Amino acid sequence: MEIMAKHGAEVKLLVLPGLMLLAGIGAVSLAIGKIDSLVLGIAAALAVSFVAVHYLLMWIGRHGDPFLLPIASVLAAIGLIFVFRLKPELFIMQALWVWSGLIAFILAAAVGKRVESWADYKYIWGAVGLILLLVTALFGVEIGGNKNWLIIGPIHLQPSEFAKLFIVLFFAAYLSERRELLAYDTKKIGPLVVPHQRVLAPLLAVWGIAMLMLAIERDLGAAFLFFGTALLMLYMASGRYSYLIWGGGMFSMGAFAVYALYPHVRPRIDTWLNPWADPNGAAFQVVQSLFALGSGGVLGSGLGYGFPNLIPEVHTDFIFSAIGEEMGLLGSGAVLLLYITLVYRVFRIALVAKTVFNVILAGGLAALLGLQILVIVGGVTKFMPLTGVTLPFVSYGGSSMVGTFVLLGLVFALSEVGASDG
Amino acid sequence: MSFWDWCLPYRKLVQAMADEVKKNVRRIALGLLGVLVILFGYLSYIQVIEGEALAANSLNRRSAQSGMQIERGKILDRNGKVLAFSERQPDGQYVRRYPYGAVLAHVVGYSNSSYGNTGIESRFNRDLSGIKNPWRVLGPLANLWNSKAGNNVVTTIDAELQTIAYRALGNRRGAVVALNPKTGAILAMVSKPSFNPEDVDTEWKILVNDPESRLLNRAVQGLYPPGSTLKVMVAEAALREKVTDTKQLFTCEGTWKIGKDYELSESHHQAHGKVNLEDALAVSCNITFGKLTVQLGPKRFAEAFTRFGFDRPTGLEIGDAPSELPDFNRLSEGELAQTGIGQGSLLVTPLRMAMIAAAMANQGNIMTPYLVTEINAPDGSQMETYSGKLLLTATSPELAQIVSKMMVSVVDRGTGSAAGLGRGSVAGKTGTAENPHGEPHAWFIGFAPVDNPQIAVAVILENSGYGGAEAAPVARQIFAGALR
Repeated sequence: MEIMAKHGAEVKLLVLPGLMLLAGIGAVSLAIGKIDSLVLGIAAALAVSFVAVHYLLMWIGRHGDPFLLPIASVLAAIGLIFVFRLKPELFIMQALWVWSGLIAFILAAAVGKRVESWADYKYIWGAVGLILLLVTALFGVEIGGNKNWLIIGPIHLQPSEFAKLFIVLFFAAYLSERRELLAYDTKKIGPLVVPHQRVLAPLLAVWGIAMLMLAIERDLGAAFLFFGTALLMLYMASGRYSYLIWGGGMFSMGAFAVYALYPHVRPRIDTWLNPWADPNGAAFQVVQSLFALGSGGVLGSGLGYGFPNLIPEVHTDFIFSAIGEEMGLLGSGAVLLLYITLVYRVFRIALVAKTVFNVILAGGLAALLGLQILVIVGGVTKFMPLTGVTLPFVSYGGSSMVGTFVLLGLVFALSEVGASDG
Repeated sequence: MSFWDWCLPYRKLVQAMADEVKKNVRRIALGLLGVLVILFGYLSYIQVIEGEALAANSLNRRSAQSGMQIERGKILDRNGKVLAFSERQPDGQYVRRYPYGAVLAHVVGYSNSSYGNTGIESRFNRDLSGIKNPWRVLGPLANLWNSKAGNNVVTTIDAELQTIAYRALGNRRGAVVALNPKTGAILAMVSKPSFNPEDVDTEWKILVNDPESRLLNRAVQGLYPPGSTLKVMVAEAALREKVTDTKQLFTCEGTWKIGKDYELSESHHQAHGKVNLEDALAVSCNITFGKLTVQLGPKRFAEAFTRFGFDRPTGLEIGDAPSELPDFNRLSEGELAQTGIGQGSLLVTPLRMAMIAAAMANQGNIMTPYLVTEINAPDGSQMETYSGKLLLTATSPELAQIVSKMMVSVVDRGTGSAAGLGRGSVAGKTGTAENPHGEPHAWFIGFAPVDNPQIAVAVILENSGYGGAEAAPVARQIFAGALR
């Protein structure tokens, strides 16, 4: 009975993103003054797909949290509308990425049923994550300022989008196994607790990776995400604030060293501290982003009536600013609230999970998602230094789209495990 | 005991461990969600409170971009002559054209994507750009009002008269203001030297560093000592305060020692002998007006400035410089006499002096000067109209009549004869303002025709010499042009 009610809610909510998408594409078409029937057809097919995913999940017998997929679909629909408005030539590709993401979601939800048993293979996950990152570090190609792309023939990949998930998986298994050690087998230096070396080892490894990413790939955002997520997961397992302080200190020191040694990291920090010192140079993107957000005001200029294309890379990292300009605070605030709701749901799933591994895994994925939102939305609004991170489900790009849908599929599976157990 | 009951202790242990971890997860959740909520607040701050300033920031190219996409409205003269229009380029963007070029540069102004707007282009930018509706408030709904073209602005300017005045000034630095005394409508406003608004882009560096300040609208921003043109107001004040009457005879001996170290003298160093007020104005007798000012005293003299509105804004759309008045109570007798003949620290704009002439022409009433009469939609439908409104009443119709009659004598038989168009037709007053920058500034203020005034003017020529010789002939050309 409860399951049926959930299904009813989910299918009703999944009608919304399709309607939004069609309305948005229609509005942009009217603003441009020409209607592309292919684009409208694709939008209609996507609208059907959102609902179809629900029935596919029912068919394979998956009954997870009914809010995850609708929230992600609404965000994906907003992303599609804005990619069409900003770079119409990329709309079809973005539609393909959304379809790939939906399929990835179903697959992750299906295999995620056995997520408990994955803990046994933790070193494999850790190794895969590490290899993905190392390969990127060694063979990475620079696209749009970040040297975190892997090009294999026609395929452009950002492996870090997938490596994140493997590392979270590894940490969840590793930490749930060594929970007692972390919490109780400690020494003290003054008021701070020093962890045992067996805890320190993986933490140092992640720290090393993060610093490597910073130095080689210029990827401050990803480095912060990796390390921040690992640190928050360590706290979840241990409950010790000292680890947060240790970790924060290590990251700050490392980041400061990189800041001092590598000139390319410097402008990002300097422009954050004072963007108006060089508004047409190093701080151009941030300043343009602030102009877009400010010009949008409360109600925005209306879809197609603003000038978001004044911001470089607006369809990927800066798509949030474009939403803020054309939809105003109503649009950007709604998007941010959707993310807050999504992160809240994932944390809730962690809080009703039955095993330590499931709790830490769901909690870690929630932390990863929450930190990513903080980094990108905080970056384009000058809340914190700007770093090249995508806006999940919304930014143009395949790796991020598929990776984040896999994350959500895992969470969907975890929500079911938690619920059906009790 | 079933299998599940047997397992219970183990399940409870797992549960207990998970519960402890959950406490930590809950803390992380609260912390992270808390930060995201703060981020939400910060986003609202950026978009709503900072938004106004960010949208208006000079580096924000949005308004310039939208401006180049729609056809900016035309600026027209009172007879429909085009003073400014936008020309579509092959790339679809618009370029601003100014058919009258330098002749109207200061009034019409320029509209430039790099250097902003001035004059009417600036003051009526929202109408001209078609973004009149405050779109920040209305949001997307404002797009419903956004037309393909901006609104047209119809001005009070008479382009032909403007051209006549511009040519009459020749190569001299100076300014002309001509207005309709009954309405306040500005008919011509010239400032020289001028510039071509179409060349702002290419000549910007030269223009902003120009020692002759070509960008300055001297007619409303230039501050000058009014010289003897101020005697019109002093005459009115003296009659009004009954310091004198039209019959009293004054004795002018060519010089007048005031106190120990002040000496007032006539500009041509001749004694005017026995003169009444009308004669004194006609020959511009410094000693008579110096004495009258001293008799008025600082209080009543200051009140005259207030009555004629020197201490309040004129209300002209494109703005004007406030007058610089001395602190009357601290003036010595000699300084008071100096100020009474328009010298000393008193500084006013040509527009102000035109308004004094206009007050005499319009029975003591000063109308608010204005430049724009209509704002019309591209389809020609009227959106807004403006007409003359009373700024203040400076004096009584009787006194205005008496002073006007004296001003006629200035032109008929006095220093202003070069402004005349036949006996009894023009009223006026010359001025020759000593200044620290060399030759005196030549002034003329006046109006015509006397029996039914249509135009009041102020003419100033910087460092050109005597008002009667230099400024009065310019005024004559303008009167002739206006009454053609």
